[in-house]
Amino acid sequence: MAGGNDTLSTRLSPFQKIYLLLVAGFIVGPFLPVIIQSLAFRWAWPELLPGTWWLEQREKSMLPLAWDYVLSPYSRVWEATVNTVFIGLVVTAICLAICLPVARLLARESFAGKSAFEFFLSLPLIVPEAAIGIALLMIFIRLGLAGSYAGIIIAHLIPTIPYMVRMLTAVYQGLGRDFEEQAMILGARPLQILWRVTLPMLLPGVVAGALFTFLVSTNIFLLTFFLGQGQVITLPTLLFSKISGGNLDTTAAGITLIVTLPGIILLIISERFIKEEAFGKGFGS
Amino acid sequence: MTARERRTRILQMLQLIPILSVLVILFGGALVMALLQSLGFAPWFGINTFPDFSYFGSLWGSQTFWVSLWLTLYYATVSTLLALVFGTMLALALIKAFPGKWLYKYLYKLPLMIPYTVGIALAVIMLSSGGVLSRIVAFAGLIDDPGQFPQILKTHYGWGIIAVYVWKQTPFITLAVYAVLLGIGRETEEAAAILGARRGAIFFRVTLPQILPGIVSSTLICFAFNVGAFEAPFILGGGFPDTLPVVAWRYFNDADYTLQLQGMATVVSIGIVAGVILFAYLWVYRRYERRMGRH
Repeated sequence: MAGGNDTLSTRLSPFQKIYLLLVAGFIVGPFLPVIIQSLAFRWAWPELLPGTWWLEQREKSMLPLAWDYVLSPYSRVWEATVNTVFIGLVVTAICLAICLPVARLLARESFAGKSAFEFFLSLPLIVPEAAIGIALLMIFIRLGLAGSYAGIIIAHLIPTIPYMVRMLTAVYQGLGRDFEEQAMILGARPLQILWRVTLPMLLPGVVAGALFTFLVSTNIFLLTFFLGQGQVITLPTLLFSKISGGNLDTTAAGITLIVTLPGIILLIISERFIKEEAFGKGFGS
Repeated sequence: MTARERRTRILQMLQLIPILSVLVILFGGALVMALLQSLGFAPWFGINTFPDFSYFGSLWGSQTFWVSLWLTLYYATVSTLLALVFGTMLALALIKAFPGKWLYKYLYKLPLMIPYTVGIALAVIMLSSGGVLSRIVAFAGLIDDPGQFPQILKTHYGWGIIAVYVWKQTPFITLAVYAVLLGIGRETEEAAAILGARRGAIFFRVTLPQILPGIVSSTLICFAFNVGAFEAPFILGGGFPDTLPVVAWRYFNDADYTLQLQGMATVVSIGIVAGVILFAYLWVYRRYERRMGRH
């Protein structure tokens, strides 16, 4: 019984305490040297701290150094940020618009071939991205969509649709149709029902789905890199071009931190406003 | 079916058109086109020898393809398994009450929120021969030249690639398992404990079967992603022979455009391999579910 009681304890075992500390170190620890590197001018091996800091050299140098460079137009950070946010917003809006009716249908109706349809909807998650990316590039080059915003936005829909449909279906399942029927009996028109009844009740789930879609879109590298053809840069592809040589210099470290920033903001927003389970629903089998 | 019912039905089906056109035309179309091209159909290059299996023949006939395939599957499998173990352990710890839990709920999701390229940057600064680990080892007096530090990145062991995938995907699996754990509650575990089950038995016979659906769907997604990932093996990999997505990309960007068809054969091979493995995985899982009396 003693072992059983231990398992049932709602407190952490000593092993779990150590494990949690290790996980914290593994996840956020590596950011510390990146912060130091972003502020360094010269950080030679094997010094644990830079020998010369950026601020010491700032006045002496003719060229913008470290953060001066990262925040200048030369680094293209601002351009990449605007592109990332713009593409993310458009993808989220389109994805929401085309997934809502499908989620509603999946949650409420049964029709022939429904389970096959659901399986088909989740296929993009399990087909390797490189395969989709290169195959799409061939098509987009013919259509003149390669290297355009439209092409990237369309491509981003493919991996975001499965998550959006799953999350919205879960929301619709939680919401009975009684309220909509009552509104209909009381004489509301379909658009009125959608705007006044369905959407407000769906809102928390819709916000969760939209945030998650935006997040997935802003994190996509491969499809943007392949289909953008270097003409449209986003934060992930900009960082890739800085570190593809296998080095992390001062400006690359600064850009790494900039690329991390939207994720931190989204994390705080989603933790404050979204219930824990809402994200989990995207992953249920 | 009344006329009215039929009308709503048709209306409902119309609403499916946008999503179907994206998925069928783009996603399905891309896969079909890839298959056609890999079989020699590329009239825009003046090549049309369809059906022509020589591209697959020369690809599968080369030794390096099989090395590439092995590396791709090795990185994908090892990192998915590690992320599964670490993620499940983390989820089991997170359902307990402890001071600072709110902070952990932010902290563990951070990698989920940021691109893989950030993870690669972290791997570079930590693990490269002039990186932080090498400096710490030097500080401890074990080495006095960066060249003496064991090479972790850019080898075919792929420790750097695996580290990035595990860093990024442990939170993903944690989230999926944690959501399921919250849903099932602790009653069944308590019942097992009262009946005298030990800790290991409770986990493997009570908890694990219940979180299995979450584990299967999240590991499927991680594995498929790892098989098709490009940026981590491109930067952190050991070079020739590369993983299959990198090989496909190199064929595709070769000045000799006829190699693009070889690249397409590589892409289709990735799809076939991933498909076979994922279906086998699902098949085993379904059999297990049936044996357990579910579905």
